[in-house]
Amino acid sequence: MADAISKDIPLNSVQIEALVVMKIVKACSATFPTTATGALVGMDVNGTLQVTNSFPFPTADVAASDSHPNDHMAASNIAAAAPRSKANGTYQTEMIKYLREVNVDANGVGWYTSANMGNFINLGLIENQFHYQKENNEKTIALVHDVSRSSQGALSLRAFRLSPTFMAAFKENKFTTEIMQKSKLTYKDILVELPIIVHNSHLLTSFLHQLPAELPKKDLEYPSSLSELTANPPPVPLYPNLDALDLSIDPFLERTCDQLLDSIETHYTELNNFQYFQRQLAREQTKVTAWKTKRAAENATRATQKLAPLPEDEWERLFKLPTEPSRLEGMLNAKQVEQYSRQVDGFTASISGKMFAVKSNLLPESS
Amino acid sequence: MAVSTESFLHLARPLAPAVIGVQPTTAPLNVILQPQAVFSILDHAIRRDIRDTQSTRVIGALLGIRSEDGMEVEVRNCFAIPHTENEDQVEVDVEYQKNMLALQLKANPREVLLGWYTTSLELNSFSALIQNFFASPETGTFPHPAVHLTVSTEAGKEIDAKAYISAPVGVNAERAAESCLFIPVPYEIRYGEAEKSGLELISGAKDSENRAAPVVSDIEGLERAVDQSIDLLERVSEYVSSVLDEEREPSNALGQFLMNALSLAPKVDAQDIERDFNNHIQDVLVVSYLANTIRTQIDLSQRLATATLTMGGSDALAATGGGEGGGDKGQRGGQRGGKRGGGGRGGGGREPREPREPAE
Repeated sequence: MADAISKDIPLNSVQIEALVVMKIVKACSATFPTTATGALVGMDVNGTLQVTNSFPFPTADVAASDSHPNDHMAASNIAAAAPRSKANGTYQTEMIKYLREVNVDANGVGWYTSANMGNFINLGLIENQFHYQKENNEKTIALVHDVSRSSQGALSLRAFRLSPTFMAAFKENKFTTEIMQKSKLTYKDILVELPIIVHNSHLLTSFLHQLPAELPKKDLEYPSSLSELTANPPPVPLYPNLDALDLSIDPFLERTCDQLLDSIETHYTELNNFQYFQRQLAREQTKVTAWKTKRAAENATRATQKLAPLPEDEWERLFKLPTEPSRLEGMLNAKQVEQYSRQVDGFTASISGKMFAVKSNLLPESS
Repeated sequence: MAVSTESFLHLARPLAPAVIGVQPTTAPLNVILQPQAVFSILDHAIRRDIRDTQSTRVIGALLGIRSEDGMEVEVRNCFAIPHTENEDQVEVDVEYQKNMLALQLKANPREVLLGWYTTSLELNSFSALIQNFFASPETGTFPHPAVHLTVSTEAGKEIDAKAYISAPVGVNAERAAESCLFIPVPYEIRYGEAEKSGLELISGAKDSENRAAPVVSDIEGLERAVDQSIDLLERVSEYVSSVLDEEREPSNALGQFLMNALSLAPKVDAQDIERDFNNHIQDVLVVSYLANTIRTQIDLSQRLATATLTMGGSDALAATGGGEGGGDKGQRGGQRGGKRGGGGRGGGGREPREPREPAE
């Protein structure tokens, strides 16, 4: 795996067309809070992966047919597993075949998924990306669009790949303590994040200049009355987005805290599993030692009686040592916690800035 | 292309020869375009094949949602259809259209076929032919009218768009298939809250030379927004002071508007503000502190779980001892993590006093 990548230039950045950004935003927000997934097509040029188009994967429309509140969980699970399911594999091939006819880059370069407050690091993501990345010579990425964070201001879109060391370990599916000690694999080495650049075509640039942009430089005519001003507000520019000044941070912090608690719970379960394994192992080992001493004693007696000694390695057949639970879940959980705390840091940075601004606005004398 | 057209005259159109039992709708129609559909059309225009056809335009189908009364259609999606066009004939890949439509509807089951688009403003007899194909009962949108969207994509010119629906008009029976009356309908480009952040990022790149922009972090976005609002405030205060100096003509409406805006500022006691501010900022900081503590704890526990402990003498002893030691340490880390977790719960509840407990 690692050899295949190092042969040619490894991916170092991702360039996304504006069309893809809009398509992903639309697909993800349309199904929110259900997870949405889809495929990306494009090509790679000198280590930069250009994503030029995308299409969503079909999912069973559970949320629409049945408005039961818990159903979106089931739908999420179906959608999250979509990229690696067989039916969608054929759907993807079919779609790419048709897209090729209209000169779209007919080359799968990965997949995208939606996330809610950064809760995207789980086994599903890993398995999907592994499914894409296990092919030789592949150049595929996972794009994660965080719907709830984007609604709060800046668009949250991130590109990930699995690291070669993790790929090798996941292929073997061995995440025992011993192997991890040897390979020095930690949770920090699971995912590699790639920088994203958004790119517009010339035509699109031309179109964007026609959308409301900057404030008009020339003097405008004065409105004749207040109602006219409220009825025809001047166009608001898209950039920069003044939504970023929104002060309501509490719901976001609260949700992140809840998610952190869930992670701690997971961590605890993992530890309990591991302790159970340790106790089990210790018990078995005591039994083995007891058996060994007994056998040694027996052999000693047999030796005095001039008989052939009994074999000493029979215990391997008699006792079965428990298998060590996989460390993978714990690693992913650690990565997830790291992601949450970074997110909280980001929130804190911007909210404290905004709060000081508000304070000095309301209390000008104290500043 | 205007974002919205302000006033529009809806023309009544001649009725189509009605099929018994199905009445075609004649209600006025509004077309709403979503940005990603426009982006997709423009992308298609760039990728057109100029080698083997003489046509300079491309066509494609529009997909989206029609309101229940049929008065409003929202174009959400579209796909390209290969076609060839020359002097005297036009060929549309009907099979491709059918298959692609099926594929698209599989992924977006709520969307329906609305009409078609082309990338030149010109309407000709081929347009009529294709329009009749999209409006026909078997392959098109009947009894609802098919929407035809024309977008000019000529290099160096403004991008202009027009939306039409059609009514059948026949010079004589033989030519009915290739003639129809295009009636302009109003359209507007509308984007939702969710798309705003995406559009912001995209339009951030429009003034740069290489037409590209990196994804920015929250704090950078905030900085720009603050800069922008300071700039706006300066403009307003400049205007107000020039009115006061009698340099510029005053406007009652603007004055009223500014007064209304200023009266929105809450009248609160300075001490209250001080207290609320301190409480809130402490909450936020405690949450951040706890989150980082949890991260450190989990990191530590992960490290200890896989650390190679070199305490034992013989190899076999070291192996078992190492494993057990790792488990032990992991357990301790877990207990600590659990304790912190309790603190995090307090932070989540946002009680002003509770979060301080674990911080001791």
